[in-house]
Amino acid sequence: MSRFYLHQQFANGLIEDPDGTEAVDLTAAKHEAILAARQLLANAILTGVLPLGTAFQITDEAGRMLVTVPFSDALPPGFIDTD
Amino acid sequence: MPHPTQSFVRNGLLSVIDAEAYAAIGPHLEPVDLPKGTVLIEAGVPFTHAYFFNSGIGSIVVSTADSRRVEAGIFGREGLSGFGCLLGADQCPQTTMVQVDGEGYRVSIEALRSACQQSNSLRETLLRYVHVFISQTSYTALSNVNQSVDGRLARWLLMCHDRVTGDDIALTHEFLSIMLAVQRPSVTTALHMIEGYGFIKARRSNIRIVDRDALIDFADGMYGTPEAEYRRLIGPFG
Repeated sequence: MSRFYLHQQFANGLIEDPDGTEAVDLTAAKHEAILAARQLLANAILTGVLPLGTAFQITDEAGRMLVTVPFSDALPPGFIDTD
Repeated sequence: MPHPTQSFVRNGLLSVIDAEAYAAIGPHLEPVDLPKGTVLIEAGVPFTHAYFFNSGIGSIVVSTADSRRVEAGIFGREGLSGFGCLLGADQCPQTTMVQVDGEGYRVSIEALRSACQQSNSLRETLLRYVHVFISQTSYTALSNVNQSVDGRLARWLLMCHDRVTGDDIALTHEFLSIMLAVQRPSVTTALHMIEGYGFIKARRSNIRIVDRDALIDFADGMYGTPEAEYRRLIGPFG
């Protein structure tokens, strides 16, 4: 298990993840980011308010940037044609 | 060991009962520390003791076999845990644990039951508390289906604020996410928003309530009724 931090990227900066989360590997951490993005997007739809964030930046314990997971990756394929 | 005198106890139920009721229960109270994380009642395990808190916060949680959980209710110095024993039950399907450090008294189930047989007014007061607790879980159900995470969080922070001394509540985002049964980033975002409105100050593992009245407005009618019910039927609260 390693500790991963899911910082939320938004227009004016980052909402930092203060505590981090234990996950077996980066794939598991990405999966958690997807689940979290789904919930944030669902909440945004329900309340009719744009979500604050646009993506998760996943870092390790040392603060190294590992991967960016855009919220759009959390939508089912073909969910809404945004083109 | 001498038992605490009634004027010394800070538990809301033990403070308001009449002298005859206190005489029935007082001699059976054993002081206990209630450190965070202590499991007071385990799901499916027979009750041994009921706990009257003087301080701290307890949490009643329900979970599935694969560890999905949600908090069903909270209590602190206004209440007691293990009241199922007063309703004829020997165990319950929920787990009760300490979520904010505190101290209080424990009493064996047998002693509590016999004290309630001795004193009608004790039994009636404790049963009124059970009624208030059911009101709280009803509002939790209402809030869970009608409010977004920020509204639910506001309500929950108010409920914790009622049960701590001062304006600081020591809680991690992870803990909040378990209690509200949401993903952790939803808690982080909701805290960020509520802080942006100026209602709270969020620091690592600590939340300070800055504008309680605004938080009550923000909770949009989901906070306050069970608390008023306690004041109406039992005594001072919060």
